[in-house]
Amino acid sequence: MVQANLLTPPSRIPPQTALQLSQKAPLILASAPTSSLPWPLSLLFSRETPETWAIHENLLLAALRTGDDASARQILDRLTTRFGADNERMIALKGLYEEALAKDDKELEKIFNDYEKVLKEDPTNMSVRKRRVAVLKSLGRTADAITALTVLVENSPTDAEAWAELSELYASTGALGQAIFCLEEVLLIMPNAWSAHAQVATLHYLSGSTSIPALTLALRHFARSVELNDSYLRGYYGLKLVSQKLLPLLSESSVSKRNADEDDVAPPKPQSVKKLEEIATAKLGEIIRQYSASKAGQSGYDEAEVIAARELLDRDGKVER
Amino acid sequence: MAILGTALNAVGLIFLTHAVYSSHEHTAAFAHTPLPLDITIELLVSIFVLSAGIVVSSPQLKPIQWAKWGGKIAREGQHGEGKWTREGEEILSEGDGFAFLGLDTGIGGNGEGRRGFWDVRSKRKEYAEWAKAGGK
Repeated sequence: MVQANLLTPPSRIPPQTALQLSQKAPLILASAPTSSLPWPLSLLFSRETPETWAIHENLLLAALRTGDDASARQILDRLTTRFGADNERMIALKGLYEEALAKDDKELEKIFNDYEKVLKEDPTNMSVRKRRVAVLKSLGRTADAITALTVLVENSPTDAEAWAELSELYASTGALGQAIFCLEEVLLIMPNAWSAHAQVATLHYLSGSTSIPALTLALRHFARSVELNDSYLRGYYGLKLVSQKLLPLLSESSVSKRNADEDDVAPPKPQSVKKLEEIATAKLGEIIRQYSASKAGQSGYDEAEVIAARELLDRDGKVER
Repeated sequence: MAILGTALNAVGLIFLTHAVYSSHEHTAAFAHTPLPLDITIELLVSIFVLSAGIVVSSPQLKPIQWAKWGGKIAREGQHGEGKWTREGEEILSEGDGFAFLGLDTGIGGNGEGRRGFWDVRSKRKEYAEWAKAGGK
């Protein structure tokens, strides 16, 4: 069971949780966070905290998702009176509200044109630029979305979120090479992001599940992700999967062929791959045991991921028997 | 541990106050004699007890190695620490700082990362289908 917390919403929101989140709307809308007193007094008697507005924004998203448009409108009005209609973020949130209410693609096109107008006035509005890409994606125009995003990252090359989104878009069109490039940009900005390393490794694995250089790179990135996070289920899962694929390939290709490899990626030694696989197996077993011993909602792991890991270990057991 | 820390702090504070008061009384009464040994000892002991109490009652240290820190977040997830905002939302412990990249759910994943590119229509559709199917 995922905790329905509006201040820090979970990283995955299934419909049940979305419903729980949006059901908090009447309670939060019941009391006004800002004071209605004139200026100097309003500072003294204001009830707002920094968390107030984060909660309002998350509530707005939850209300839009569950189709509670009346509440969404109220929250949006509250945010607008607090921050002003010209605020960069507010323009994007208002656009989001309109997008949610758009009935067909035609209305969505209209919203897209509105975004264009906003950008003509202020080309530095990053939130609206991102919304514009999201609309293109929602319209199914992935190629246009990619073009718009490449312009965005050209203008703002340190935006890790945009690079990650671009990588996702490329991956969805099957352009794995470009997707890997974009994620490497993410790694340049945040070299300690274990999830980014795992994602690069996944892409390498997908791009060539029978070629030694691709699998070697996947192995390296998975190894780095567990080096950055010593209980990272996805990292250990990938480590085990890749090393299982890599081991037979390494024993097949003899030493003579290894020297003639066209890539500069030196394949790992079979012994070290074997050792990595053993470590991953042990750690996965430990994670599964810990998960089944913990109470519901007390573990940080996703249930589906743990089940997948258990299946991987079971499959392995059958082969050995 | 919380009780032990509070007890040590309380005892230490009482002795420290007593020692300070005694030394003040002594200097007020006999201005030109040295401080008696028992007051000095009481002062030192009370400071020691108070320091021990502060150390014992301090919150647990966080891991300073990146891998251990990340592992702790992955194992335990976010949990409440007994603090709530005015709106009644619990303030949770530190979570995965890279969740905003939305890379945890893999390729084509349905996560909540990358808020700037949040696709409201597909999320809305997902919810509507769930509600139509009976909402279970």
